[in-house]
Amino acid sequence: MLIMRNLKTTAGGVSFENPLILASGILDENGYTIKRILEEGSGGAVTKSIGMEERDGYMPPVVVEHENYIINAMGLPNPGIENFGEEIKIARTAGKPIIGSIYAADPEGFLNLAEKMVDYGVQAIELNLSCPHVKGFGTEVGSDPVLVKEIVKTLKGSIDIPIWSKLSPNVTSIVDIGRAASDSDGIVLINTVRAMAIDIYARKPVLKNTYGGMSGSSIKPVGIRMVYEIKKELGLNIIGVGGIESAEDAIEYIMAGASAVQIGTAVWKYGRNIFSTINSGISKFMEDNGYENISKMTGVAVQ
Amino acid sequence: MINHVTIEEKVQETPTVFSMYFRWEMKVMPGQFVMVWVPGFSEVPMSLSSTGERKCLTVKVYGETTARLAALNTGDRIYLRGPYGKPFTPTEGKKLLIGGGSGMASMRPLIDDRATGIIASRNADELLFADHFKEGQAICVTEDGSRGMKGLAPDALDKLNLKEFDAIYVCGPERMMYAIFQKLKGKDLNVEFSLERSMKCGIGLCDSCSIDGFQVCRDGPTFHIKALEGSMEFGKTKLLSSGKRVYF
Repeated sequence: MLIMRNLKTTAGGVSFENPLILASGILDENGYTIKRILEEGSGGAVTKSIGMEERDGYMPPVVVEHENYIINAMGLPNPGIENFGEEIKIARTAGKPIIGSIYAADPEGFLNLAEKMVDYGVQAIELNLSCPHVKGFGTEVGSDPVLVKEIVKTLKGSIDIPIWSKLSPNVTSIVDIGRAASDSDGIVLINTVRAMAIDIYARKPVLKNTYGGMSGSSIKPVGIRMVYEIKKELGLNIIGVGGIESAEDAIEYIMAGASAVQIGTAVWKYGRNIFSTINSGISKFMEDNGYENISKMTGVAVQ
Repeated sequence: MINHVTIEEKVQETPTVFSMYFRWEMKVMPGQFVMVWVPGFSEVPMSLSSTGERKCLTVKVYGETTARLAALNTGDRIYLRGPYGKPFTPTEGKKLLIGGGSGMASMRPLIDDRATGIIASRNADELLFADHFKEGQAICVTEDGSRGMKGLAPDALDKLNLKEFDAIYVCGPERMMYAIFQKLKGKDLNVEFSLERSMKCGIGLCDSCSIDGFQVCRDGPTFHIKALEGSMEFGKTKLLSSGKRVYF
């Protein structure tokens, strides 16, 4: 594949050969899948969120499919941290950065998981402070600024690799949570938007868990707004995510303040080669518009 | 998007297998599958056993959701989404269909006068669609020897001149398919396997069904034998619903 030199970026303290990163929760449970996605063009990958114990997740239906969005309630399925080392080992053979996503209920839980991830050789930790559909984890942790601050502080004090905080849009003030997480090396915005769907013939919620998280192009404007707001108010280093399907979408996030972006749901519509397609588009846009590198574009729209 | 169809006819195929016929204005190719939802219960991936204007789902009862589905009757509604996945590559020539358990369901649309079948099951009662083949072109194999030859599907391969077939299609439990793969690889045969892995989303996102980085729900379920040569996972390891890797 053609190497597009202008795409190199550093985001959240990690260097990437291009600004596209596989988002957590999508095709990142099996090491061979992560490896393939990295080899097919993604600059890095975030793993499925991993907890202390093995967890099956919810029974299907786990997704609702719509033209412009997906609602999912996977239920944090994961093999448990002890069983995940083998997958990271396989994924690392692609030679690109792996970011280990973890979820826990308290600072100690996050720290135990992060230490294991460091042992497995990941380049950064992403704190899942935002899963919208599992009780006791995710948003329930991530909407409490005091707890978020404590978790980030605990990890920053003990872990030597960069810490990213993935925040939820399902909060009253994203700036308050962003401020609480501001010691993180990177802020990841946004996780899915809490949502649900009903089948009118069955007269029942479709998802087995009733509630899920919405992703896909429909949520992009929400993500853009939150990235912009955090960049403007707090000036933090941001990784943008939410509804990116094209080079134009990725550039919009970058101009709102992101140093890199994550892609997930778009793989459903466009397949794994979405990464190389978007990379080519960004590279061409930068050439046409005189941008030497990603950092020159980051936040240019913020006023 | 959930589609709603109405059962037009129900046929009992074996003691535990039922076919549900319905009209659905959707183009479906042999080998493709749908996700079938039973409200209040779960959702299961199923191949279509008839892909013409009149479609068919052939349901094998193996749990609560499939039991509910099999209990539906003419006039009842089925909730499904799809079709998904890569179909079998059709052939005009002579073909061999190898089906284990309920595996023959996904290949039933391929059965014609030029098709030979190896139909394998535990016992005579559970042989699926053996009678749909032209007389003399169905080789039955049962584990207990209650009909046809006693043994497993791969045992029947030794009776045939495989070079005669323009295409060979295989669907069944992975252990059976792997045994067949071992016998057929490197022989320059045109073989396609329809893989079955634990599937949750059906649309290439959740990574439950992946094999060597390919999504069975999207890149498959049909894979050419050449694509499986060198596989690190086929017949060797699989992920449980938690994502924990286990060995066959």
